[in-house]
Amino acid sequence: MAALRSTSRLLAPSRCLFRPVVASRSYANIASIDTSASRPPTPASQTKTVKEPAADGDSKIKTFHIYRWNPDEPTSKPKMQSYTLDLNKTGPMVLDALIRIKNEVDSTLTFRRSCREGICGSCAMNIDGVNTLACLCRIPTDTAKETRIYPLPHTYVVKDLVPDLTHFYKQYKSIKPYLQRDSKSPDGKEYRQTPADRKKLDGLYECILCACCSTSCPSYWWNSEQYLGPAILLQSYRWLNDSRDERHAERKEMLDNSMSLYRCHTILNCSRTCPKGLNPAKAIQEIKKDMAFGS
Amino acid sequence: MLRQRAVQQSIRRLAAANLSTFNKTTSLAQLAPPVAIATGRHTQIRQAATQPTSPSDAYSILASQRLHRPVSPHLKIYRPQITWLLSGLNRITGSILSGGFYIFGAAYLVSPLFGWHLDTATLAAGFASWPLAAQLAAKMAVAFPFTFHGWNGIRHLIWDVGAALNNQQVIRTGWVVVGLTVVSSLALALL
Amino acid sequence: MRPALLRQGLLITTRKASVPKPSILRACPPAAIQPITSIVRQTPRVATFHTTSRRAILPAGPQVLEGTANDPAPVPKPSPTHGSYHWTFERALSLGLVPLTIAPFAYGSLNPVMDSVLVAALLLHSHVGFTSIIIDYIPNRNHPRARKLFEWLLRLGTLVVGIGFYEFETNDVGLTQGVKRIWKAGSTDKVIGSA
Repeated sequence: MAALRSTSRLLAPSRCLFRPVVASRSYANIASIDTSASRPPTPASQTKTVKEPAADGDSKIKTFHIYRWNPDEPTSKPKMQSYTLDLNKTGPMVLDALIRIKNEVDSTLTFRRSCREGICGSCAMNIDGVNTLACLCRIPTDTAKETRIYPLPHTYVVKDLVPDLTHFYKQYKSIKPYLQRDSKSPDGKEYRQTPADRKKLDGLYECILCACCSTSCPSYWWNSEQYLGPAILLQSYRWLNDSRDERHAERKEMLDNSMSLYRCHTILNCSRTCPKGLNPAKAIQEIKKDMAFGS
Repeated sequence: MLRQRAVQQSIRRLAAANLSTFNKTTSLAQLAPPVAIATGRHTQIRQAATQPTSPSDAYSILASQRLHRPVSPHLKIYRPQITWLLSGLNRITGSILSGGFYIFGAAYLVSPLFGWHLDTATLAAGFASWPLAAQLAAKMAVAFPFTFHGWNGIRHLIWDVGAALNNQQVIRTGWVVVGLTVVSSLALALL
Repeated sequence: MRPALLRQGLLITTRKASVPKPSILRACPPAAIQPITSIVRQTPRVATFHTTSRRAILPAGPQVLEGTANDPAPVPKPSPTHGSYHWTFERALSLGLVPLTIAPFAYGSLNPVMDSVLVAALLLHSHVGFTSIIIDYIPNRNHPRARKLFEWLLRLGTLVVGIGFYEFETNDVGLTQGVKRIWKAGSTDKVIGSA
């Protein structure tokens, strides 16, 4: 049964791209259950609001709309759930708000977090339309404005704010993110580097692979299967740029096709959104220059 | 079948975790856990219904779970920023210009077959007979994509040498392009 | 697909009815229970062959990953003609279009040779741009046939348009002169062909 179902779903993507609207027929109930991956979330106006447990007179109540999807109901639609919190009792960052909701209001809310100081990259999510780390993002103190929190854009959702980054990591693995050498160092000790060569890695090695930049890139939204995306290309440049690495030509050859690198159309959302202040767009541009004019 | 098993298991687990849900009559279920432990009247039940799954089974379960996952919202919820809006506009204006170019080229080739008069003299005469407002609107509709795509193309060429790629410069050059486009397309339309 | 959907629909109803309310949910405020109750309320009544009319733009298919989490993503075969050479060619073409576009404004119009060069460059630039759009929006993995179809349509279109502009350049006044003639038609003179 399960096998049948999964094979029938596997065939689904190969359906015609330009099927006329009237021809798309399916079983539907009164509310028309949409089970496609691109089903949109139910807006917050149609769901109940969970209120701050202990609101009093001088509390600063702010509303958070949070994307929810429960894998235990696999065919259900995602929805926007609203929560109100008293900012006087909440820490300054969005992650503090999420943790407070989970601890005190709704324990079913699911999100990733670990270091709460912007070094692990776990709590990457889309806050008020911009990808960033929840632990580095202050809650806007203007209580009139409502904050919207989504998972990283155009990712498959595991649950609530947890995206599946498996393919992102597989792509990272495909660029061989490690030192590749055939020759030993002259004195048999560590591979040395001049301070100038080491300086070339600044702005590249700091990347924490939070996937904020890749999932902000429209090009990566449409072609994440084959396009590597800004984060992975930044890492690719980090290894291309390492004076100790000896596989420069092979690394470049791996990018020399229409998809891996050249789906970058310098949209520059990546650099705009990077929570660590890095510049993936510049790194990608340097790779393109190296590919065109480099030895 | 997998699904039924999962439901069964979760019911069993719930029964183990919350005796009260299933067994309202037993008195020990009504005691708070510390009391139950203190009085020695607790029975620990662990009905963990486990089943060995091979790695390939585990993989197929995961693969079937993946098929149901929704894609998180993207284009509609991303904050409108000058970076991606101008990039999108660059593609749209390019498509408009190239589309027009292609349509005219193809139409010019087949025009003798259908008896269309697409030579510039006839077109110019036809255009001259339009009302002034329509002329201005038509010129604006061509001048705006043309100037925008041109200025933004120069911005792209500057990026291609690796210059002006930090956030402030990108935002500033973006607004410069918008300003230049408005001024130059108006100037062209009024020419 | 359809029997599977039917089963899923039935599954939702039966499961919602059979799962007892766990105490963890009872401890939560009402909204936390909302997902379950709301679905119970709108029990799906399966209507056969209902026609749905909403469709997403560039819909993402169900998630399918090749290999396990430990396998690297496949690396495409190197092909510089679609990669680095293509990029360099595209930039050279764009760079060449800059003076070709400015020149008519500076000198009034272009001589027939330069005008033909401009038209050829515009044609190539358009072709490259359209190719890029096709690659971006018609993914090969999901729609290999639509992709091939559009690629060939574009090639055919470029050929037709190329011949069309050859006719235009040889029989008419040329692109820059022609645009100028139409542009100025309203304001300066209304006499046919005197521009």
